[in-house]
Amino acid sequence: MKRRAALAVGALAVATVLTGCAFGGGGGTTSSEKPTAEGPVTLTFQSLAFQDTTIAATKEIVDSWNKDHPDITVKLQQGSWDNVHDQLVTQFQGGTAPDIIHDESADIAGFANQGYLADLKPYLSDDVMNAVSKDVWKTVTAQDGAIVAAPTLLQTYVVFANTDAFKKAGVPLPDGKQLSWDDFQALAKKLTGDGKYGIGWGMKQPTATVMNLALGFGGTFFDNKGNTSTIHVGDAELEVPKRIHDMAYTDKSIDPVSLTQSGSDVLPGFFKGSYAMYVGGNYVAQQLTESAPKGFSWAVLPPLAGSQGTMQAANPQTMSVAASSKHVKQAAEFIDYFMNPTNQAKLAEGDWLIPASAPARDQVAKDTAGKNGWGAMLASAEAMTAAPFQSAANYPQWKDQYATPSLQKYLANTISVDELKKQLTDGWAAVGG
Amino acid sequence: MTETHSALSTGSGLAARRIARPLQYLALACYVVFLGFPLLFLLLTAFKSSQELLSPNPTFLPQTWDFSNFAGAIEKANLIQAATNSLVVAVSTTIIVTLISLPAAYALARFRTRLRTIATGWILLSQVFPFILIIIPLFLVLKQIGLINNLLGLVVVYTVWSLPFALWMLQGYVAGIPVELEEAGAMDGGSRLLILRRIVLPLLAPGLVATSLFAFIGSWNEFFFALVLIQDPKLQTLPLTLARFVGAEGQVQLGQLAAASLLATIPSLVFFAIIQRRLTSGLLSGAVKG
Amino acid sequence: MSTSTLTKPAPPVTPVKRRRRNTGTNGGGRDAWLLVLPALIPVVLFSVYPLVQGILLGFTDAKAGLNAVVTFNGVDNYVRLAGNQLFWNSFRIGLIWAFGVTALQFLASLGLALLLNLDLKFRGFARTLALVPWAMPPVVIAIMWRLMLNPSYGPINEALRTVGLPGDTNWLGSFSTALPAVIVVGVWAGMPQTTITLLAGLQNVSAELHEAAAIDGAGVMTRFWHVTLPALRPIIVAITTLDLIWNFNSFALVFVLTAGGPGGQTMLPMLFAYNEAFRYGAFGYAAAMGNVMVIVISVFLFLYLRGQARSRLS
Repeated sequence: MKRRAALAVGALAVATVLTGCAFGGGGGTTSSEKPTAEGPVTLTFQSLAFQDTTIAATKEIVDSWNKDHPDITVKLQQGSWDNVHDQLVTQFQGGTAPDIIHDESADIAGFANQGYLADLKPYLSDDVMNAVSKDVWKTVTAQDGAIVAAPTLLQTYVVFANTDAFKKAGVPLPDGKQLSWDDFQALAKKLTGDGKYGIGWGMKQPTATVMNLALGFGGTFFDNKGNTSTIHVGDAELEVPKRIHDMAYTDKSIDPVSLTQSGSDVLPGFFKGSYAMYVGGNYVAQQLTESAPKGFSWAVLPPLAGSQGTMQAANPQTMSVAASSKHVKQAAEFIDYFMNPTNQAKLAEGDWLIPASAPARDQVAKDTAGKNGWGAMLASAEAMTAAPFQSAANYPQWKDQYATPSLQKYLANTISVDELKKQLTDGWAAVGG
Repeated sequence: MTETHSALSTGSGLAARRIARPLQYLALACYVVFLGFPLLFLLLTAFKSSQELLSPNPTFLPQTWDFSNFAGAIEKANLIQAATNSLVVAVSTTIIVTLISLPAAYALARFRTRLRTIATGWILLSQVFPFILIIIPLFLVLKQIGLINNLLGLVVVYTVWSLPFALWMLQGYVAGIPVELEEAGAMDGGSRLLILRRIVLPLLAPGLVATSLFAFIGSWNEFFFALVLIQDPKLQTLPLTLARFVGAEGQVQLGQLAAASLLATIPSLVFFAIIQRRLTSGLLSGAVKG
Repeated sequence: MSTSTLTKPAPPVTPVKRRRRNTGTNGGGRDAWLLVLPALIPVVLFSVYPLVQGILLGFTDAKAGLNAVVTFNGVDNYVRLAGNQLFWNSFRIGLIWAFGVTALQFLASLGLALLLNLDLKFRGFARTLALVPWAMPPVVIAIMWRLMLNPSYGPINEALRTVGLPGDTNWLGSFSTALPAVIVVGVWAGMPQTTITLLAGLQNVSAELHEAAAIDGAGVMTRFWHVTLPALRPIIVAITTLDLIWNFNSFALVFVLTAGGPGGQTMLPMLFAYNEAFRYGAFGYAAAMGNVMVIVISVFLFLYLRGQARSRLS
């Protein structure tokens, strides 16, 4: 009996000591012990491609690289957008992160600050550096100036129109270089009636949309100085949510139920003709082209313009290299290859997204001949720029815990715009922003 | 069961029964709909093409019985590999759990030592502790021995996680075997091992089967530990693959998702159908006493 | 050892047992440890040890980050937790969820168990069906119900539309209906074990008691209240407490159903702690949350043990 008690106490003591040890050795060794200098090199590349065409295009790129580089083999893995963030947290912590990481720029700021991503500046070729605009490079540059990723594919928010609904209401389709928000609101009102709404807008995840479109009014939300970011929520920032709110509850031209649904859930209503216009990512054009019911005719309207223009925040998909990888140089070489215009064009066409690289955009324009809305979509990419929120380290947590719930509540008309402002600001303080 | 009716067949009971009966059938029907309809809907959705699902007027029954969703799901989600992973992990866990819990359960049931109180206490306690407490240090422990992102690591975790329930069940079954049988065997001159093999094991067989099937189903269905410990997409188990069946902007191909979900559930359902008879008798003797 | 005692000519059974028990505490004790060892080692290594570490982790500032340093910071985490509105909100939601699901589950299962105890046709079919949710992975259950509750093409809204009621509620997406909807799914998923346990209990209720009460002229309701329920009490206490604990710790179902949304309306404590650890990398803080949750569950456990002890005495 006494022996057993002693045993128990001893076990507890050992456990306590080992706790310290476990964390002392917490950095851990990476699971792979690869030769650092010469000899054949194997790299793991986790791709998040989802569409069958993009998956095929990615595989093609990897295969052609492997053929041309027998000493640097890239192994392709399939990941999922849904949980890439959590997965990377555990992988970085456990030392099992892939060498080449596919993610998006809004997600990687935190990882960059934690030191998990390698600086690619010394390795990327001039061609790649020049192909992408300086504004978009800003979205993948860390606070210390290191370039932590290469930007690949972008999306813009565009307005899709059901051309038959426009015809029936006797409203001409807007043309021109841009569509101002005021005109957009007026259009929506004209197209509402007979049990149909002017707009169906899936805003279940409102934060990205609001942050992106706010730039059109000069709403930047954050100021980044060195390592600290301060928030400001003023009239410019609140312009977009206010307008959407007014359209839904004053004009009654947006279906309020659609505001609580995801984009893909609102699409059937658009096909049915319940909405004359649908706002979503430009990649929805693929579903419109491939899965719409017969006889459904649609068009992409000119880009939405706020008081400052048609700027939207660029949030490109990114290709990074893990800092703990044993072959940063070779991984960066692959990324360089991945970024060449032909490859980027293939991926863009597969995913119906817009390449960040200008030569690639030209290639896509040639391949698609501007059909199926591609013309308007490619043009909208010209006005993409970096937004401060992408470098704010605690942005993901603020987005999850405060911005998204508050915006959802505001768009459901359960809180006022002043309360929205307060919750957004206080939330940033709460996450230690 | 039949006893309740003898009481009801007296006098006024008969009249009450005539009113009660249809109501009882109605209630039962409601339960059947509540329990069975979702599964039926899943089944029907799996057979609808994506055109049909996005159409403005979806019908209840599929217009065409489209098998392409199943093929598509298997290919896109790499279901076969995920199913293999799940199978390997579940079978390994079941074997190991059965092997180590059998002697332990025997010891706990037969020997009245202090160990039994500790064991019962630990069994209860392990149900109580939220996974979040254990997962972070477990993650670190496994990392140090190189079992992170590794099916073997998952098997180890599942084994430890299934042990309490397996011990509890088996202990009940062993306790249900009268000790006199073993003593009779001993008096006939059998060694301990022989007694266990010839007498105890055959009687324990149904309990063993039930316990191992529970362990199998538990491992097959488990999600949380797999979510944290497995990051390599090639090593994913079925529940993980299903949960991640989403595209970049939340695009989901519903028909395929339904098909994949159905395929993932079938083994569990089959095993469960096999053991459901044993459930009410064997398992609950332990529960009621415990 | 034991064989030597048993080769004595047939004495009555009980003295043999008693003698065996005596030798059991010494020789049998060692035997027992040996048999238990293969189970004991993995348990200590992968269950007890990490658990102790996890508890201690709640008193540090462990964070994600390359070469992050871990320091003990005493009760700082708990002070921060005390002021964390979101955590207490999720706690409240966790309690509502746990009690809601357990209570509804109990009532629904009791009804079903009573029905299954009767001699109705299709009883076998209904009983098999009652077990189906138990066999399905929680992930599949969540996916299935997400399809059912979809506002545009889910059958629930379709049915509402056909009878003329408003049929466009976004059950899982709107603030007021998300938690109730999730609770319904929780009840669906949890019915099997409770139903079967109660059914077994009902079948064990002595028939003689029923007969005696009936002869005494007690009607169905009276018999139910005064014979069935009291006899079922220990089982009810047992399964309800276990259900409560399991439900409070629930993760996979709600994770796949709503991931804690919309706006945190279904953010169970386990989900909140998971996000804290594996989305934002605050490992120490998350462990502190786990410690707080343990204390709450211990209260439930204490009530269970007390209920067990009481029912043994009665």
